[in-house]
Amino acid sequence: MIESTLRKHATLKDEEKVRLILVGNPNSGKSSLFNHLTGLNQRVGNFPGVTVEKKTGGVKITDSLKAEVIDLPGTYSLSPRSEDEQVTFDYLSDKNRKDLPELMVVIADASNLKRNLLLASQLIDLEVPTIIALNMMDIVQRNNQEIDLKGLSEDLGVPVVPMNARIGKGVEELKKAIAEFEYKPPKKFIEDHASKDGLSNTVVRFDKIKLILKQRLFDKGESVTAKTTRKIDKLLVHPIWGYFIFLFVLFMMFQAIFSWSNLPMDWIENGFLVFGQLLSDTLPDGVLTDLLVDGVWAGLGGIIIFIPQITLLFTFIAILEDTGYLARVSYLMDALLKRFGLNGRSIIPLLGGAACAVPAIMSARTISNKKERLLTIFVTPLISCSARIPVYTLLIALVIPAEKQLWTFNLQGVVMMALYLLGFVAALGTSLAMKYWVKSEERSHFIMELPIYRQPRWKNVLMTIYNKVKLFLVEAGKIIIAVSVILWVLSSYGPGEKMTEIDQKYEALGAFEGKSEQLASEKLEESYAGHLGKAIEPVIRPLGFDWKIGISIITSFAAREVFVGTMATLYSVGDSENTLTIKEKMARAQDPRTGEKVYTKATGYSLLVFYAFALQCMATVAIVVKETGGWKWPLIQLAYMGVLAYLASFIVFQIFS
Amino acid sequence: MEEVLDSQLSIQLYCMGCLPGEKITIERIAPFGDPMIISVEDTFISLRKDDAHKICVKRTES
Repeated sequence: MIESTLRKHATLKDEEKVRLILVGNPNSGKSSLFNHLTGLNQRVGNFPGVTVEKKTGGVKITDSLKAEVIDLPGTYSLSPRSEDEQVTFDYLSDKNRKDLPELMVVIADASNLKRNLLLASQLIDLEVPTIIALNMMDIVQRNNQEIDLKGLSEDLGVPVVPMNARIGKGVEELKKAIAEFEYKPPKKFIEDHASKDGLSNTVVRFDKIKLILKQRLFDKGESVTAKTTRKIDKLLVHPIWGYFIFLFVLFMMFQAIFSWSNLPMDWIENGFLVFGQLLSDTLPDGVLTDLLVDGVWAGLGGIIIFIPQITLLFTFIAILEDTGYLARVSYLMDALLKRFGLNGRSIIPLLGGAACAVPAIMSARTISNKKERLLTIFVTPLISCSARIPVYTLLIALVIPAEKQLWTFNLQGVVMMALYLLGFVAALGTSLAMKYWVKSEERSHFIMELPIYRQPRWKNVLMTIYNKVKLFLVEAGKIIIAVSVILWVLSSYGPGEKMTEIDQKYEALGAFEGKSEQLASEKLEESYAGHLGKAIEPVIRPLGFDWKIGISIITSFAAREVFVGTMATLYSVGDSENTLTIKEKMARAQDPRTGEKVYTKATGYSLLVFYAFALQCMATVAIVVKETGGWKWPLIQLAYMGVLAYLASFIVFQIFS
Repeated sequence: MEEVLDSQLSIQLYCMGCLPGEKITIERIAPFGDPMIISVEDTFISLRKDDAHKICVKRTES
């Protein structure tokens, strides 16, 4: 057992600030209580050195007493077995925190009292100031149970506050209990606990808990909530219908995401264009303005555009998680994913990967087995994310006529579906290969509590979405803006005097109107980016790509959809009136040597496959560095996905040409 | 339930309320026998067949 160093203090009467430490079992309503206490006044960070989420926030307890709230990860006991639980353990035994008086608030699920009291009893034996918040009292009532709160509080030697955190009932009472808290050394829950090993210690504790509950918990009949959950499970995890229902939910989810996000995405795109134009018109001409508008502003637009899709996807995931369905999906998928070296829990990052790999990779933290977590992180970027959609849409429209049918389906739609499927299959295949390559002594388990079904707690859902989107904006945002600026430099400057010569040439021509795009395109060709594109042309020629595609592949490292913008600039030659859409320009493009069309079916398919597989995303690389704690895995991932993309594109090009 | 033949696993299960003397019900088994959902009192726990094999139980009259 650990020696806790939480500061002992008699009362909080003369204190101005207290640190509240929230501890509790998973699914005990800890986040609900945390959200009720802190509201928007919370920050999500990391515990030092580990990738475990640390939530902190502030709350006013009384007019004179403020509190800093720390939400520790949910844990079943004080014997750590996962990174999350290790953090709780380490935090409680950290000896370096002496700045504030501390009070531990143990959240216990009253409808599952026996199990929840185990952790509570271990925490009580740490002999630190403790209050027990007995949550989910509404369920206790619904299940026709009754708890003798006063007796329980006497038995445990600490205050017990009943509450229903989902609607915020009992929060005021908890604050009152905190303000009036008086520390008295509690009775030891079990004697001499240090001498026993974890297992017998647990058994002794449970024996005592059972004795207490015999006197304090009155059961008047059968549990209603468990019965309801069994009924719903009959359908949702049915061996056949369960899978159909999951596929249906998935299908509806993506339908909704794509159809609902179109409009706001258009608004954002146009808004950024209009405001960017406004910026460049009002600001004085010059390098700084160019950098601001074409570098920073364009980069910012490239991130914000994905917010509708990411918000929607995380809304659905948060709702599914909060109702308890997502745990069932993990259960349904475990048998399949296990064969590929993954875990049922991997389904959450894999789903999230369809929006953006950055937050998805972070959600792999719930997987306690290190190898399974690594494999999940490794394969998640292969799932087609929303940044690929603009690229897919443009290329598909370019090489496949809209009226073409495959059987009764629209061929364009079929190819789009196929690309998503390709990503998913590649992810599973890669994982299968890695399963044999990455060695691990750690045994794999899938022991997970399936919480009873509940209505989603909207406050929790909202907070989850808010935190995820913020995380995406910050994590992906800073990388994308940085890369955008670098790319702006590479495409605005070139070696030698060529760039100035082009400027002078156009200036000499005089008739500048309508030629600006042509000028930009010629300059891009002579820029560092242009030279880079030409330098890699011999390498990508076997895939059917020319140097222009080469430039776009390079610029796509900021974010994949930059491809579309780069193409728009590159193909402005010969269209001084600027009347053609980018699609029409690309359709007309010809190879100067052979006079053949550049975007044949072979090149188009090859490029599609390339974008499906290649890891062209610096933000993902950065997050993998963070999550795996080094450069080894992200570099392997970058190389692997690059080779995979190259080979696949090569094969596709050879087949279709 | 009588005992769990793996100390790592047992502590994990004990902490979830799945202990000697408790009544375990097998709620359902996924296709191909893996994984399964068991319940102890009102807690539903999913676990794999490999781990379930290590839990010693005695059949009770239902």
